Amino acid sequence: MELLVGLTLSAVLLAGFYATMAYGLGLIYGVLRVVNLTHGGVLMAGAYLGWWLYTRLGIDPYLAIPIVVAASFAFGAGLYVLLVRHLPRGAAGGVQSLLLLFGVWLVIRNAAYLIFTGNDQAIRTAYSTQALQLAGTSTSVNRLAVFAVAVLVMVGLHLLLTRTYVGRAIRAVAQNPDSCTVVGIDVERIYVITFGLGTALAGTAGLLAATIFAFNPTFGGVELLKSFVIVVLGGLGNVIGTAVGALILAAVEVFAILLLPAYLTAAVGFVLLVAVLILRPGGLFGQRVLS
Amino acid sequence: MRGLSKMFAALAAFALSACAATPQQSTSGSQSAVPVPDRIEIGATLPLTGAESRAGGFYKEGYDLAFELANKDGGVTIGGKKVPVDLKLLDDTTTQATAVSLADRLINQDKVNFLLGTYSTDLVQAQSTVAEQAQIPYVNGGGAATEIYARKYSWLFGLLAPITKLADAEMQWIDAQQKAGKLPKPAKIALAWENTSHGKDFRKGVNDFADKSKGNYSVVVDESFELNSKDFGALLSKVKAAGADFFLVDAHLPDYITMQRQYVTAGLCHKVISYGARGPEKQAFDALGQDNVNYILSAVWWNAQLGSRGLNKQFVDAFRAKYNRDPEWYQALGYETARALFTAIQKANSVDRGAVKRALVGLKMESVLPGGQLTFPAQSGQQAQYAFVVQQNQNGKSPIIFPKDVANADGIAPNPNCK
Repeated sequence: MELLVGLTLSAVLLAGFYATMAYGLGLIYGVLRVVNLTHGGVLMAGAYLGWWLYTRLGIDPYLAIPIVVAASFAFGAGLYVLLVRHLPRGAAGGVQSLLLLFGVWLVIRNAAYLIFTGNDQAIRTAYSTQALQLAGTSTSVNRLAVFAVAVLVMVGLHLLLTRTYVGRAIRAVAQNPDSCTVVGIDVERIYVITFGLGTALAGTAGLLAATIFAFNPTFGGVELLKSFVIVVLGGLGNVIGTAVGALILAAVEVFAILLLPAYLTAAVGFVLLVAVLILRPGGLFGQRVLS
Repeated sequence: MRGLSKMFAALAAFALSACAATPQQSTSGSQSAVPVPDRIEIGATLPLTGAESRAGGFYKEGYDLAFELANKDGGVTIGGKKVPVDLKLLDDTTTQATAVSLADRLINQDKVNFLLGTYSTDLVQAQSTVAEQAQIPYVNGGGAATEIYARKYSWLFGLLAPITKLADAEMQWIDAQQKAGKLPKPAKIALAWENTSHGKDFRKGVNDFADKSKGNYSVVVDESFELNSKDFGALLSKVKAAGADFFLVDAHLPDYITMQRQYVTAGLCHKVISYGARGPEKQAFDALGQDNVNYILSAVWWNAQLGSRGLNKQFVDAFRAKYNRDPEWYQALGYETARALFTAIQKANSVDRGAVKRALVGLKMESVLPGGQLTFPAQSGQQAQYAFVVQQNQNGKSPIIFPKDVANADGIAPNPNCK
């Protein structure tokens, strides 16, 4: 029983981080139809920025969230204006955007090697190793804090997309950019905001990761793949769906240890991805794809 | 993905070797067949950038020091003549394909006489194939996995003792504590190992010891995990449920930091805890805090605390003079790898590759490594075999606690953190 409670708690806390990690990728693809391979690099850059702010300026990682959000947003918006907007969209521009954004990721990674070397880093705060008893299980205070931020991000993003003009415009552009132009929505501006917002979410996830895990410039690769899995599971452009997708992936990975060796648990998520792509290509919560 | 890249690297190695020119030197010829050169060119690659850049940089320091000291004496003696040694060092970027192509370049384009190895199992495994095909002595201090040497390559020589011996050294210390009545008998072990050849060797070492213990030890959890895992919650829940006495892990530094943080917050505590070769790293102290790494056991190939006398003192003093800090085992292995090759060249009294290979096969040299003597036993695929030194984090320091002849502190068991 104690094992099941421990595993359930592990899955829920992990899902919070996974969801935050995946929102940005889903948002950018949902609106711009661009697979943002820079996502992994921004996760890593967010981790380093948070670590740098904490170790050099003494800013607590949770207080640093606005700084990381602003810096990541500016980077994402700049990346869109300078590079991405010149690319063709959708299937026609798929290869170009993949290559370009993969190149940007490599540049970010190698810049990190140059600046920070390949040494492993981690953020240690006074509460990094603090724990409290939850349902009879010792639980990390920091992981609870990460989960709380993840819930706030989910609610905030949902409200932004459903209750604000910009959010409605983002959803409208995702559905039909041409019609949006007709009704006076500045589509290019919405693209800039969306790319910035998606990048800011990735940066935030990177910062949260830095409080939990050790990281180095290679960080972000596996996380990008898992983000893909979550986005596909949850359906593109669906905030709640993404959160549920994250919960499914986390639960599958965590509970798989009851049946499989631990090293295979990460692969279970990818098996799930293949199964969903075959059986329900639009995602568990996306639109049904008609043959 | 790793499997694919391994396959490509192996294919590249064979393809490049197939294209290589016929070896320019005799592989079995007499010493007189090869004239004494003005300089000896030794090629090497190291991961100076990329994921293993930290370790690669350390090995470079060891190589540089060995070459500097050798040339200070005029070089290596061949036929009564002092011949300077030059190191041609390239950056393999922690990539198998690059390590393979650069080794080929060093052999066929730069025409180096011999090769020193790179660092990390994957790279050494791929690169040594090129050396074997080209029939050039390849002496490395960066590949420990037994599967590298199980191929029985005849031109490959390794200075890193196998990880099975790391596990064995830790278990010997644990066994001594058990016999002294400080640890429970029989004892239950929770074993977790990274899913690499490194981890598999560690697992084998612990299991072999447990199997021979006649019931004194039983492995109740035996789980592997992927390198750079991010969440160990499930694995740790299983460890907790098993009620083990010892928690023995083989992990690289990032996994050690991440797992130990989750271990502490999960409220776990075991009478003995180890992360294999990891434990005393500064990054771990910084990331986890001294209290959370106290009493962690680790075993390494070499420790600067061995440097109080003999060759070790010479090395440590020279290193401190050059770099103003203490060396770690990486630099010691780099230094000793280069020194082993120099010694073999002197013993061969020639730069003939075949003669130097034979000298390496029969090498028996005084060494900085534990045990004080370096050989490359044929039965272990020419991988050096010696005991690891076991150390334990004790309030900010990591003294050697085993073997007794080199220990400078008593080990503490059971873990006082467990109340």
